[in-house]
Amino acid sequence: MSEAIRFLKPRAAVLARRATIVDDLLDLLPPECVVHEARELVPFETDAFVAYRRLPLAVVLPKTTEQVAAVMKYCHRYGVPVVPRGAGTSLSGGAIPQEDAVVIGLSKMTQIIEIDPANRTATVQAGVTNLSISDAVSPEGFFYAPDPSSQLACTIGGNIGMNSGGAHCLKYGVTTNNLLGVKMVLVDGTVIELGGKHLDAAGYDLLGLVCGSEGQLGIVTEATVRLIAKPEGARPVLFGFDTSEEAGACVADVIGSGIIPVAIEFMDKPAIEICEAFAQAGYPLDVGALLIVEVEGSEAEMEAMLKKIVEIAGRHGVRTVRESQSATEAALIWKGRKSAFGATGRISDYICMDGTVPLGKLSYVLEKTSEIVERFGLRVANVFHAGDGNMHPLILFNANDPEDAARAEEAGNEILKLCVDAGGCLTGEHGVGIEKRDLMRHQYSDADLNQQMAVRAAFDPGWILNPSKVFPLEGRPAA
Amino acid sequence: MTLTPHTENDAAYVIRNAASKGTTLSILGGGTRAGFGNRVSAEETLSSSALTGIVDYEPAEMVMTAKAGTPVGEIEALLAANRQMMSFEPMDHRGVMGTAGEPTIGGVFAANVSGPRRFVAGAARDSLLGIRFVNGRGEIIRAGGRVMKNVTGLDLVKLLAGSHGTLGFLTEVTFRVLPVPETVETIVVSGLDDHAATQAMAAAMAMPVEVSGAAHLPPTVRGRLIGGQLPEGEATVLRLEGLEASVSVRAEKLGDMMRSFGSVSRLGPDLSRNLWQEIRNVAPYKGSPNKPLWRVSVAPSVGHQLVAALRLEAGIDAFYDWQGGLIWMQMEADPEEQRLRRYIKALGGGHATLVRAPATVQERLSAFHPEGDAVAALSARVKQKLDPGGIFNPGKMAGV
Amino acid sequence: MQTNFTAEQLADPQVAESEKILRRCVHCGFCTATCPTYVTLGNELDSPRGRIYLIKDMLENGRAADAEVVTHIDRCLSCLACVTTCPSGVDYMHLVDHARVHIEKTYRRPLIDRMIRNVLAAVLPYPKRFRTALALAKVSRPLAPLFDRLSPLKPLAAMLKLAPTGSLRKSNATQPGSRPPETERRGRVAILSGCAQPVLDPGINEATIRLLTRLGVEVVVPQGEGCCGALVHHMGKEDPALDFARSNVDAWTREIEGGGLDAIIITTSGCGTTVKDYGHMLRLDPHYAEKAAHVSALAKDITEYLATLDLPRLESHGLAVAYHSACSMQHGQKITMAPKNLLKNAGFVVRDPPEGHLCCGSAGTYNIMQPEISAQLKARKVRNLEATRPDVIATGNIGCMTQIGTGTAIPIVHTVELLDWVYGGPKPSRLA
Repeated sequence: MSEAIRFLKPRAAVLARRATIVDDLLDLLPPECVVHEARELVPFETDAFVAYRRLPLAVVLPKTTEQVAAVMKYCHRYGVPVVPRGAGTSLSGGAIPQEDAVVIGLSKMTQIIEIDPANRTATVQAGVTNLSISDAVSPEGFFYAPDPSSQLACTIGGNIGMNSGGAHCLKYGVTTNNLLGVKMVLVDGTVIELGGKHLDAAGYDLLGLVCGSEGQLGIVTEATVRLIAKPEGARPVLFGFDTSEEAGACVADVIGSGIIPVAIEFMDKPAIEICEAFAQAGYPLDVGALLIVEVEGSEAEMEAMLKKIVEIAGRHGVRTVRESQSATEAALIWKGRKSAFGATGRISDYICMDGTVPLGKLSYVLEKTSEIVERFGLRVANVFHAGDGNMHPLILFNANDPEDAARAEEAGNEILKLCVDAGGCLTGEHGVGIEKRDLMRHQYSDADLNQQMAVRAAFDPGWILNPSKVFPLEGRPAA
Repeated sequence: MTLTPHTENDAAYVIRNAASKGTTLSILGGGTRAGFGNRVSAEETLSSSALTGIVDYEPAEMVMTAKAGTPVGEIEALLAANRQMMSFEPMDHRGVMGTAGEPTIGGVFAANVSGPRRFVAGAARDSLLGIRFVNGRGEIIRAGGRVMKNVTGLDLVKLLAGSHGTLGFLTEVTFRVLPVPETVETIVVSGLDDHAATQAMAAAMAMPVEVSGAAHLPPTVRGRLIGGQLPEGEATVLRLEGLEASVSVRAEKLGDMMRSFGSVSRLGPDLSRNLWQEIRNVAPYKGSPNKPLWRVSVAPSVGHQLVAALRLEAGIDAFYDWQGGLIWMQMEADPEEQRLRRYIKALGGGHATLVRAPATVQERLSAFHPEGDAVAALSARVKQKLDPGGIFNPGKMAGV
Repeated sequence: MQTNFTAEQLADPQVAESEKILRRCVHCGFCTATCPTYVTLGNELDSPRGRIYLIKDMLENGRAADAEVVTHIDRCLSCLACVTTCPSGVDYMHLVDHARVHIEKTYRRPLIDRMIRNVLAAVLPYPKRFRTALALAKVSRPLAPLFDRLSPLKPLAAMLKLAPTGSLRKSNATQPGSRPPETERRGRVAILSGCAQPVLDPGINEATIRLLTRLGVEVVVPQGEGCCGALVHHMGKEDPALDFARSNVDAWTREIEGGGLDAIIITTSGCGTTVKDYGHMLRLDPHYAEKAAHVSALAKDITEYLATLDLPRLESHGLAVAYHSACSMQHGQKITMAPKNLLKNAGFVVRDPPEGHLCCGSAGTYNIMQPEISAQLKARKVRNLEATRPDVIATGNIGCMTQIGTGTAIPIVHTVELLDWVYGGPKPSRLA
């Protein structure tokens, strides 16, 4: 296990009262909603950022907002830290607990409360998975647009916590652009509602502030999201290039020409091989870099747009252009892309970066990334959302070799700093979590961070909510 | 006295000074929304009018950075030269407010001003990628950045957008822009009452034709737009934008579908552009400075019920944008605040903002929709964290 | 994922294999979404990722199994939906197999639990005993509500409720010997008679034999063939499972070396999954490893084999079939298109139910051992199947047929019964 990133020192007073706290939680919730046996806590010690692990004090799995509020109120009264958890798919360690924390897991809150086609909204409990929203509204002809690669498993609550994106955000925006309202539990157990089926806030845009706040401001228990009419058709097209540079330049040129496809995804050679091995989607294996460009609309619209894109790609030496021939093939192309991270597990352990850079810097950052990784004696696979500059270098390493793991972390840090220095940011959609917490000062000044922490304190002055995350441990204002 | 700093550092200095003395400041951009919101009584005025200039514009990256006091006109001109635009179509308030001056880009974001495309393409806040501002302590704060995807820390960008200068003094904004659609078309469905129009708009939005504007214009309003060139009777208007080839196909499809609701006609690109600009600027209600004007945001399906209920008891004139979810409501005389807010609540929630009213009316009611106790308390705490001395625009927004 | 095993621990080939499996898992959590128990219970501990973690912790620490771990492993249906979902290729099947063996070796179950398991292991794999037990069950059925009220006895109640109410028919389809082809010979196959299926529904193999011989395939019921071993295998009873496997390998090897076999036909996909795994199960047995691998390679689901025979295309006759893909079919054997294509080609209108990846809750003896979760999954499955408004439900696994059949009035038949019918056989009795 890596140790480079510290967690807050557990509160001794909380640890000392562990048995009482567990008893009290069992009074608040039905027995099947409280996990407290030592061995049963182990599987909750981490999320998809598996290099770091901490056992929680207990895990609660409430079924209602009222139960979340009761636990929150209790934890607030006794100063017990709380770590919210959706499906535990965070790639930045957002759901990793700490020894003195109660994990509030939303996996039992899976009710779809209302589908409202006339207003194009769905209201769901926070534990509903991203994809099941689209599944539920599909018979009405709608879908929910943000589509993180983990959409099969990740919850809407977690999406809100991390302001999740996905491949199709190029056209439809990320979670914050598709979220209309939430019901949330504040740190003292108060339940509030922000937004609703109407647009914009009456006063301050607290909804906008809550989205992407990584469980630092409260626990969202219900969400109302915007739905979009399903396009008549959608077609991913594969563009193969000899080099990453050509592919990167093509992306910038497509966007610059005023064409905005639904998605532009990038894969380099190692990523192509990994994904093809899993999905057998027909990705060309004889190219150095691949773009998956998705267009949508009627047949005529797709043709018109594709024609322009093919023309631009031609100027960048495209080698292969392959349109998906059927819905099954299109699904496979996306399945391969969306499984890219997991599929990498077939060949190696990895950590996944999430920096975003201005489009014009894509090629430069790709090149520098390779240099950095090589310097550390490691390998890298690149698969990411090129259309919005959101890069996901996967640094491959051996998790059973502590030195290799440490090198991977260091290389990752350098890559993220590179993204910031190129005019981008540390994280586009995975969140800061613990992973990038100690790099925050590279992106922000003390005044910037202090201001964010001050706003945080308006919600949680006692640092009860997910306290080891997002903000560097040094230099925090006193609780 | 009006303070007009020429640099961000000057602004910070001025604000630090004010903070130390407890001097309250009224924040001023172009002044085109003067009178919007509650009356502010501040000792001095702080203007962004000398913080001007486009700092950076990368058309290929669809991102622009400008100082807060830059006139919107200058920005729109440069964007237009590159066939790009602000997708959220910021409204020009001068007509309805009866003001002069030049709207500033900072003001647009501070008031989160959005037009007809908002319900599909997002509000001003959705295009805003990064900001620089001075907080109430006089500290220069940077939030967000210049990339579209960014979840690094708390999203103060969204918080500041629409905070009407009560949380900080914006000095620079970075925002996303989009290509101007190749062409535009408007499908007009005539003769629908408000209820039928709501259903027609919902049906249009459920179709895969990418409607980018959906407004309903009752007879009282129809004649006051594009020189009365819309067909007789009520007009329900649906906008389509994009590539020429695509728009014509979609217009065909949408028109066919809409014929089951009423008679269908088309406006063509030029009239369409004019129509949507006038809807954006709420042109039907300009030139009546003494009639209170509300901007009401509710669930699209209930907007017409709200109007119908109010009509029974008050003299109102109204039209709908955002598929029926945005209601511009001009009152004959009395603002009917209590009744309006009560009905909004009964219909499932939303909010009403008094955009314009005679000073005598403004003084006795809150322009912003009151929030529940817990949310109001939270907002007050947030305000306190950004502007501990309460020096920015005191009293402008409800409760803060 | 990082693992912590000592070199000494890794000397055990089972542990070494599990370590390799664990190393592939990247803890992404995709598997949780398609896991029937996670979807039902909403607890990570009842998800593949949670179980993998529990197993990892137990094995790394060289610990005996304990009540908590056993609870969550027992709740696993072994439906293998997670294996289909997993992008990293984690071989959950063999990991959980190992865990079950470890549990069986190191954990002493409560008395009643042990008794029920021993009875099931002693009865189900043996057709004669099973037939007698079902006769007894019929008369004991009134006791079911009583057992239902006593938590540890719930499995007994479940067992009684599952027992068929009609009379059991004897069939000659299990008689050892060869059935010659009716037309020009195209091949020679063995058919697995199995254990529970011929007792519960002898019509399935009868239909299979009729269809195959009509198509020119010689079908052999080998002497000495028995239960495939899946039932005890899933209880972690390794030795009896391997004994069953060896005995079947022997029986089939005799046929392979005698008249030769083109395939070993299996009509219960649950058994198919296990027979296809014989090569792995017996990999450490020097006397059997090679023979078992050969047998596994020859094992084919009936639909897999039929797909190679180019059956004539028939005009549509409008009968709507909801196809229920058994977990052992779609996840265990990765057979997804063949059964549906055969049905479509034979003129049926095939409908896919929503949530087709979710288990019906049958899962071998699961509906007996975990009646509550099983009942919830059954209700969900029936709801999804009925939503397609079919005339008939088709599937390829007797367990699913029994389970779903007790929850819906829509007739449920084996895919091969429909095919036999439209290609010249009798109408399945359930459709009469």
